[in-house]
Order: sequence, then structure tokens, then C-alpha cells
Amino acid sequence: MGGVIDFFTNTLRGLWDDSGIHALFSDGGWKSLLMILISFVFMYLAIAKGFEPLLLLPISFGMLLTNLPMAGLYHAELWQLGADGHIDYGSVLRDGGLLDILYMGVKLQIYPPLIFLGIGCMTDFSPLIANPKSFLLGAAAQGGIFFTFVVAGLLGFTAAEAGSIAIIGGADGPTAIYVSTRLLTGGGAITTGNIALAAYTYMALVPIIQPPIMKALTTKKQRAVKMEQLRTVSKTEKIIFPIAVTIIVSLLVPSAAPLVGMLMFGNLLKESGVAARLIDTAQNALMNIITIFLGISVGATTKADQIFSLKFGGVMLLGVIAFSLGTACGLFFGKIMYRVTGGKVNPLIGSAGVSAVPMAARISQKVGAETDPTNFLLMHAMGPNVAGVIGSAVAAGVLLSVIG
Amino acid sequence: MHIYPFLLAEVQEQLPAVTEKGGKVLTGTEKMDGTQIAAMTIVGLTVVFSALLILVIFLYCSGGIFKKTGKQKKTAAPAPAPKKTAAPPVKPLPKKEPVSVAEDDSEIVAAIMAAIAAMGAADGKNYRLRSVRQVTRTGSGRTVWAQAGLSDATRPFA
Repeated sequence: MGGVIDFFTNTLRGLWDDSGIHALFSDGGWKSLLMILISFVFMYLAIAKGFEPLLLLPISFGMLLTNLPMAGLYHAELWQLGADGHIDYGSVLRDGGLLDILYMGVKLQIYPPLIFLGIGCMTDFSPLIANPKSFLLGAAAQGGIFFTFVVAGLLGFTAAEAGSIAIIGGADGPTAIYVSTRLLTGGGAITTGNIALAAYTYMALVPIIQPPIMKALTTKKQRAVKMEQLRTVSKTEKIIFPIAVTIIVSLLVPSAAPLVGMLMFGNLLKESGVAARLIDTAQNALMNIITIFLGISVGATTKADQIFSLKFGGVMLLGVIAFSLGTACGLFFGKIMYRVTGGKVNPLIGSAGVSAVPMAARISQKVGAETDPTNFLLMHAMGPNVAGVIGSAVAAGVLLSVIG
Repeated sequence: MHIYPFLLAEVQEQLPAVTEKGGKVLTGTEKMDGTQIAAMTIVGLTVVFSALLILVIFLYCSGGIFKKTGKQKKTAAPAPAPKKTAAPPVKPLPKKEPVSVAEDDSEIVAAIMAAIAAMGAADGKNYRLRSVRQVTRTGSGRTVWAQAGLSDATRPFA
């Protein structure tokens, strides 16, 4: 009888020791608890406030799953560089949990370019083709990336961390994940999940962050400028555009080729008009599947012992600085174009140069319409907006080329 | 992957103490000094601007070619047109037609007035239509209907 009781109590003790509840209240468990609470905040923002729910919800749920002690869905230690300077993918396949396996698509940089494929299928580049000057506004807004790099560097972040934080200023989720996953090699205080959380949170906050900056940096007269109607773009031009951009950008900045190449491939499928089935899959089923995999596995990198530090707050703070600087740089260049063209360009379209398609363009339209309800800037702002996507991909390529 | 050679040279000139690792100019795990940060920013902005500037030039060139060919097509098209108009004698329109158009207009005005009156009657108010003016284009160069359609389409963003 005594043996049965001993067996019973030992089994119970074993179960208790292996349980998540025990781990949660043992050494360092409070960090996991805190991260779970933070994941609730992001879930609330996604569900109740509608902050980029398609991405923030998977990311925040991944954050919850990874911080449940003992669940073993994601193992940060498997992603540390080995003695040879590489990740041991054999051990990831052997010992990895569900989210480790899904995270391989992020680490091997497969998901972000595939998301870009879907985005390419959905993007109409004709406002940009009709008004090529827009490209310069898309380039200017990338100033947010590089000036944030300065701030982060001066605050003592390492080159890889500064680059990953700075890319948040590109206002482009897949690009931010693409860059940070390659630069952050594990072991540091910042993770890809951290960067993605900041990027998507601020992308959702674009309607709040941008308008005050736009109003502060422009005069009422500038905001009221009505722009000439854009010319119609022929089908041949639309077909040549993706091919030419792929060749030119990939030859200039080869490390931007995966992102730009897939974006333009998607666009070529769309504009060719002969691949309806492929477009349907790329922009719907494929993109949705990838979004789920990307979101939940990126969220999983936010493990308590990995990211809980002051740097988490630093990333969030610098992220909003990056967005604001990007907006300001775009507006500033818009003002230069306003002067150069003798008042023909409305500087408000400059702020759309930070990617965040199509939200940033909508904000230009909204702020313009507030000054003059008969002013329609939407299509003019779409030019810099889609140029911003290409611009941030090029900026990503530069960061990846220089930082190792 | 190397960033193109002249820029790499530019960075290396500015950074004598840079550690080269696998072709990279900056080592990710190390903190940077002021010169490195400044060089990175200058190089980054230069590359982004020059890459997109090349695309601008390309688009202007290709856009110019397409505009030219478009114009040629347009000028070539109307050439055979006069023959057609010369061949069949155009029947004069019956005189009634323009009159009925005018009547239609006044009927439309009457119908609109009736609708306004009915709307006013519901509230117990009387409205009078004082004038009807022809508005062809608004300040933005669009017709009133195009303007209304555009406002409707962009309302969700406002």
C-alpha cells in the first residue's frame, strides 16, 4: 500500500515539476508571465483596435505560445550561431518544435520575398510610371532609415542592431523582417520578433503619427496645391516596368534582388494579363498561408529570456522616431519639388514615400482634402507610395551589403 | 556581396580601421564610432538615391518613346476619316428633335423641383427653385458628376 502511495506522490510531483505552472513561478518565470501579458496587449490592439490584425494577431499569439514554459514550441538556443559561424539546421530539424520548423522560412529568408510576390500582384505601378519624379520622393523618405541608424548608433547599439532598428523606418513589414533576421544572429538583446512588433504597430499607427508632422512642416498654401491629372499609361509600359526595375535594381544592389525580384515578378504576372490563375494563388491562398507562418513564427522569437531588457523599450522608441523621420524627409523633399516646379507638386505626397501601402497615400489624400475638399491627391500619392516599397528594398540591400 | 566598388572604396577611405569580414565593411556585433555611422548614412542615402534616379531616367526615356509612338498613331488614325463623311449624304435631323431635347431639360428640372417639393412637404417646409445654371467644369477640370464620383470613391479615407 505504501508503495502505491509513494508511486502516486512521486508521479504527481514529477508532473508538477514538468508543468508550466511550476516553471512560471520558479526562477525567472516572472519574465515569461510578463511577456504573456505583453502579448495580450498586442492581441487587444489587433482585435479591439484593428491594428494590422492580419499580422499583429499571429505575431502576438506566437509571442504567447513561445513564452508558455515547457511547451517547447520554439527553442532560441537552436538558432545561435555554431563555432563555424553557421546555424546547425540539422539540430533544428531533429530537436525543433513546430514553430522552430516554421521559423526556418523566416531565417532562410523565404517568406518575405513570397509576401512581396503577392504584394506585386496587387500593386498598380501606373501612377509611378506616369510621374517618374515620384521615385525621388520614395527615395527621400528612406532618409528615415539612415537617420535612425545614426541615432541608434550614437545610443550604443551595435551595427547589426542599429541596422535592424533603422529598417523599421522603411514602414515595410516584410523588408524589416528580411533585414533583421539576417543581421541579428541570435544571442543579442533584440530579436526579429521585436523589430516586427514595432514595425507593424507603427504601420497601424500611421494615421496618428503622420498628420501632425505633415501639418507642421507644410503651409496651408502648399497643402492646397492641386496637381495635374496623371497621363494614362499603356499596357506595354506596364509590362516593361517590372522587367526593367528588376534588372536595374538587381544589377546595382544585388542583395535587394530577392525582394525586388519577387515584387516585380508578381507585378509582371498581373500586368501580363495571361496568368490569372497564378495571380489568384499568389495574392490570396499563398500570401495568406505565408502570412500565418511568418506571423506566428516571428512572434515566437520574442522569448522572455531573449528580449526582456531595456532594449525592447529602446526599439519601440526608435521605431516611432524612424517613422517620423521618414515622413519628415519625404515632406522635406516634397517641399523642394514644390519650389523647383513652381508650385505644381503638393508636398503632402512626399510623406507617402514611406511604404505602408496604401495607408500612407490615404493619409496624404485625407490631409489634402482637409485643406481643400475638392483636392484629390490619392493617385498622385500612390506614386511615391509604391516607389517607397522599391526604395526600402534598395535600402535593405544596402544595409545587408555593408553590415556583416 | 559587395556594394559597388567605388562606394566601397569611399567607405574604406573614410574608415581606415574598418575590419573586413566576408566582404562586409561593418561588423554586426561591434559598436560603431562616429565616422562609421556617418559614412554608412552617406553611402546608404547615395546608393538609394542613385538607384532610384537611374529608374527615373529610364522611365522618362521610355515614357518619351511611348508618348511619341502614341502621338504617331493618333495622327495617323484620322487621315482616312474625311472620305467616310463625304460618301453618305447626312440626313438632316427632323426639326422636332432639338425642341424635344429642350422639353426634356425642362421636364428634368420640373421632376427635380417636384422631388424637392415632396421632400419639403414631408418636413412641412416650402422650397422654391430660383435658378438653374449650366456648370460644365469645376475648378479641377472635372465635370460635376466626375467630381461627385471621385468624392464618393475617396470618402472612406477622409
